[in-house]
Amino acid sequence: MKSNSAGERAYQIVIHLIVLLVAASAVFPLLYVIGMSLTTKSEMIARDYFVIVPHAPTLEAYKRIMSSSVIWHSFVVSVLRSTVGPLLTLTLTAIGAYVLAQRTLPGRGIFLLFILATILFNGGLIPTYLVVKQTGLIDSFWSMILPIMVDSFGLLVIKIFIENLPDGLTESARIDGAGDWSMLWRIVLPLAAPALAAIGLFNLVAHWNSWFDALLYLNDKSMYPLQMVLKNMLTIDSVSGDSMNAMLKTSQSISTETLKMAAVVVGIIPVLCVYPFLQKHFAKGMYMGSVKG
Amino acid sequence: MAQPVPAAPSVPAPGAPAAEVTLWRRIVRHRMLYLMFLPVAVYYIVFRYWPIGLAWIVAFKDLKLGMGVFDSAWVGLDNFRVMFEDPEIVNVLRNTVEISLLRIVVGFFPPIILAIMFHDLSSGRLKKWLQSAVYIPHFFSWVIIFGIVFAFFSTGTGFVNNVLEAMGLSRIEFFLSEGWFRPILIGSALWKEIGWSTIIYLAALSTIDAQLYEAAKIDGAGPLRRIFAVTLPGILSVVTFVLCLSLGNILFAGGEQILLFYNKAVLDTADVIETWVYREGLSRLQFSVGTAVGLFQSLIGMVVILAGNTLAKRYTGRGIW
Repeated sequence: MKSNSAGERAYQIVIHLIVLLVAASAVFPLLYVIGMSLTTKSEMIARDYFVIVPHAPTLEAYKRIMSSSVIWHSFVVSVLRSTVGPLLTLTLTAIGAYVLAQRTLPGRGIFLLFILATILFNGGLIPTYLVVKQTGLIDSFWSMILPIMVDSFGLLVIKIFIENLPDGLTESARIDGAGDWSMLWRIVLPLAAPALAAIGLFNLVAHWNSWFDALLYLNDKSMYPLQMVLKNMLTIDSVSGDSMNAMLKTSQSISTETLKMAAVVVGIIPVLCVYPFLQKHFAKGMYMGSVKG
Repeated sequence: MAQPVPAAPSVPAPGAPAAEVTLWRRIVRHRMLYLMFLPVAVYYIVFRYWPIGLAWIVAFKDLKLGMGVFDSAWVGLDNFRVMFEDPEIVNVLRNTVEISLLRIVVGFFPPIILAIMFHDLSSGRLKKWLQSAVYIPHFFSWVIIFGIVFAFFSTGTGFVNNVLEAMGLSRIEFFLSEGWFRPILIGSALWKEIGWSTIIYLAALSTIDAQLYEAAKIDGAGPLRRIFAVTLPGILSVVTFVLCLSLGNILFAGGEQILLFYNKAVLDTADVIETWVYREGLSRLQFSVGTAVGLFQSLIGMVVILAGNTLAKRYTGRGIW
């Protein structure tokens, strides 16, 4: 018995250590990036770019970034798409899920198959591009919104959620003469709010993080979202990123690396702001998703 | 407003007379629902089914810039022949399979092990904090991840190279090295997703009956013994399920990430279907071959997912549908 409990304690110590290590390795890079973004050029050079905690932190890089109209502009584009996109997605998802949750609806099976099939099969990059072109969305803000307006998986999760609402609620509303719209608006939506919030938050983060659609559909650089501008600042193939040179031109106090890391932090901050809310919802959302099937 | 029919409509009356009339009346009664569904249906038709339809047309045509889809000439299977005869595309197909297999092999077990450790962790509050910490990287864009990887692996200023130098070793050109490209790619993907991937296992672990652990303890089983006797059998079906699903992505190697990470120096080992289709198919206007490659990728993916689902159902009794 004695040796057993010693073994238990050793096991607990080992797994605590390992898990702590994994968690630290998830967080350390962020702290390192933040530290770099606050370091002056002279300190970088003096310490051979090996700075973890800067001795004399400077906000110069952030000032440069905020004075860049390109970054501000793209920030606004990103905020816009991360607001408009999720709102549209939630509207369509709620309506679609409500309709598909009606067990008595004739043709419901066909509709469901119609949606399920798109999880399995898609047209691919070029045909999707051609459709965006044919619908006249190239170089339009809406090219980043409309093609990804409904996520089939989210739709099915909400549909299952609505189906699992107690029948009594909907039936008594029916008897009171509620039509489909008031049923959806007054009964179903308030009850499904937590599930919808989870979908909305994930959608928001997805919009915030998205850049590939901008690369595909936008030739006009003034419409670029933040991640696309960051991409141009950060990737190897475009070291001569125009916006960055403009920002650095007059600066002697910070280096390219500092500016890049400040850009990374700017791209992360909004995600960290919604993270606590995501935290609250995702376990529930994922659980609903994984329990299905 | 139509007369509300009092309860029990959820079960259609058995043997209702004149079924057709009933069906028609049911459709009419639900007309508002169809109207509500219309925008969703329009979305799916325009942005999901239209591309699928186009894929099947363009892949068998020779689509030229400035020429409409319907005006360009049919070429039969020529685009597919090009795909299998072009050594560059064949290399791309091989890279795709290799990289996605590497991702599966390297990325599969760590989340399971981490989930089991989380599950066994005795301290409740600390556990919550640590979990929140390991989920964070999942929510960063690939652009941000690239920025972070750059901070660590760039040649002149990267953290890892600084450490190497401090240890008296020489610096490594990680981003320009064919040998290092894949480890960096797959390592950073593991870093991004390891925490998040534990969630499905944690959900499965939470359903294991605590009494089983108590019983094993009383029988004298140590922690490791309990993992093999209780924990692993408890999540085996989910593990199989996840494996089958991830095999469905065999022709999807993570193009978005590679597009950010690769460069000319590592093209031979880095180029995959997604990056090739973007670069050669779209940017260099090889629309039809690009579409054929994409169609092939999508078809294989579908077949593998269907097969995986069947296998998952057979061995675990649990499928995606």
